Amino acid sequence: MKMNPVYKREMMVSARSLRMSLIITVFNSILAVVALLNMYSNVVQVRITADVQYGSFLDLYEFVACVEFIMLMFIMPAITSGTISGERERQTLDLMLTTKMKSWEIVTGKLAAAFVTMFLVVISSFPVIAMVFVYGGITWGNVAQMMACYVVSALFAGSLGICCSSLFKRSTVATVAAYAVLALTVAGTFAVNMFSYSMARMDLNTAAYVMGNMGGVTVNSGGFLYTLLVNPAVTFLVILQKNAPASTTGILQSYGSREPGLVMNHWVLVSMAVQLALSALFFLIAVKTVRKKGIGRNA
Amino acid sequence: MLQIQGLKKRYGNFQVLDGLDMAVPEGSLYGFVGPNGAGKTTTIKIIVGLLKADEGIIKFSEQVADHGNWQEHVGYVPDFFGVYDNLKVTEYMEFFAACYDMEGLKARKRIMALLEQMGLEDKKDFYVDGLSKGIQQRLCLARALIHDPEVLILDEPTAGLDPRTRFEFKEILKELKDQGKTIVISSHILSELAELCTDVGIIDQGKMALTGSIDEILSQVNSSNPIVITLLGEGRELALNILKSHPYVHTITVKGQEIIVRFTGDKQDEAVLLQQLVDAGILITSFTREQGSLESLFMQITGKEEERTVLKYENESGL
Repeated sequence: MKMNPVYKREMMVSARSLRMSLIITVFNSILAVVALLNMYSNVVQVRITADVQYGSFLDLYEFVACVEFIMLMFIMPAITSGTISGERERQTLDLMLTTKMKSWEIVTGKLAAAFVTMFLVVISSFPVIAMVFVYGGITWGNVAQMMACYVVSALFAGSLGICCSSLFKRSTVATVAAYAVLALTVAGTFAVNMFSYSMARMDLNTAAYVMGNMGGVTVNSGGFLYTLLVNPAVTFLVILQKNAPASTTGILQSYGSREPGLVMNHWVLVSMAVQLALSALFFLIAVKTVRKKGIGRNA
Repeated sequence: MLQIQGLKKRYGNFQVLDGLDMAVPEGSLYGFVGPNGAGKTTTIKIIVGLLKADEGIIKFSEQVADHGNWQEHVGYVPDFFGVYDNLKVTEYMEFFAACYDMEGLKARKRIMALLEQMGLEDKKDFYVDGLSKGIQQRLCLARALIHDPEVLILDEPTAGLDPRTRFEFKEILKELKDQGKTIVISSHILSELAELCTDVGIIDQGKMALTGSIDEILSQVNSSNPIVITLLGEGRELALNILKSHPYVHTITVKGQEIIVRFTGDKQDEAVLLQQLVDAGILITSFTREQGSLESLFMQITGKEEERTVLKYENESGL
């Protein structure tokens, strides 16, 4: 099977760069130091109290998982938002567009290269996650679920980045736009739910009713909860909560209790499907706009 | 080989191309000339598929660009060189070969042949971002030829190159023409085009102002050039009176003993005028039409129509 030329070139150039080796080294060094400190504190605790807190070993898993997720969400847009606009700035995009390469092949090559680069970093941290298995509490199924979440989140953030890169002429503008949309997706949906939940709780009639009936009526953020389906951080937290229930209280319950339903019962699957659909939409926009000159470019 | 009919393109309120017609004969080296903003680059970008025309048809070898896979027929050399960091010359070429579905031994052989043709075989392991502009431009030409296109389109390829590199580049183009490639080259260096091209098209305000073989065009240029008459002794007054009354004389410029006349008549009319001057007893040491150049024609076509000036003095007063 023919390898995508853009992907091949990106990987070749990336392999020659010192940047990737440096990111992997620094990232894994931090994780390793934190893991060793965590184990050391557990051992010291056992020596002092003679009480083995097995649950505390799961803190390590949570920490590593959180760091990796945050890194994915921060680094993916940074890597992808300069891809198409960078080619425009270097004036190499026109050369590629005059060849037999299709727009979707260019976008796919760029996205795949960023995706593989990112996952090289994630996979390189597996030895640290493996330390958790020494004490138990986390299954391969949990790790697989977390990996699926990473894949979807990376695709989401990457597609968003590449979409902005295709839409805007300058890489700096594309990067700012990608982070702005991502912040709106993550923080914005939380904020909307918080606001909606606060308004519901402040409703005087409801408040009086609740006080009179000692919580007989449930108050929640209403339909705004479903905006959290587009939020990869919520998906991640729901998975993390199931994996390590002792440390994270239900994120979905933070905005009021609800009756179980199809979406609530299969939140992870539904949210991943929604995020994949959005990723596909971003990808399509990127493909459609790659031949355009980009917003901010003179005719 | 390449035919353009009624090409139109508008940017906002500005009509860049206004029904451009162009026919590039097979195997020709076609000079595409025009002032800045005339629509050269827009035309080229439409031909190579980077822009869409509002109207018009482009045909390559019986294929209509809107429907055919024209990328296989065209090689494009822009007026810039897109550089990738950390990529060697052979890798750069391999990348573009892969963009045309060429891989493996076939691609490597083609790359080596092209690098040899461009005189770049000793640069194959150099990083492209470290090459000089002249070498980069030759590499760009090699890249454009990777899929062995029938038509090669170059947008001011020699801009910013030193004379020696320009000469070498020109020689390569001649070699490619001899190999049967159809080459369209846009440039402002008209003297170079005149000696390089077989055909020329002059575009002005989005329309083809003049097109034809270089010989045809240069003969037109010659006939539109002024006649220089050099006098001996007195007789200028009389000569000017005869010239002023002649219907084919449009402008007269006097420079010492020289009278420069813009004369629109043919060879026969020139001979009659000379006869008239000699019959009037005026001593004439030379009567010649200036040799034409593409520049003068270019200026004539793209400039405003010169008003009829009967007399113009230089370093002289009172006549």
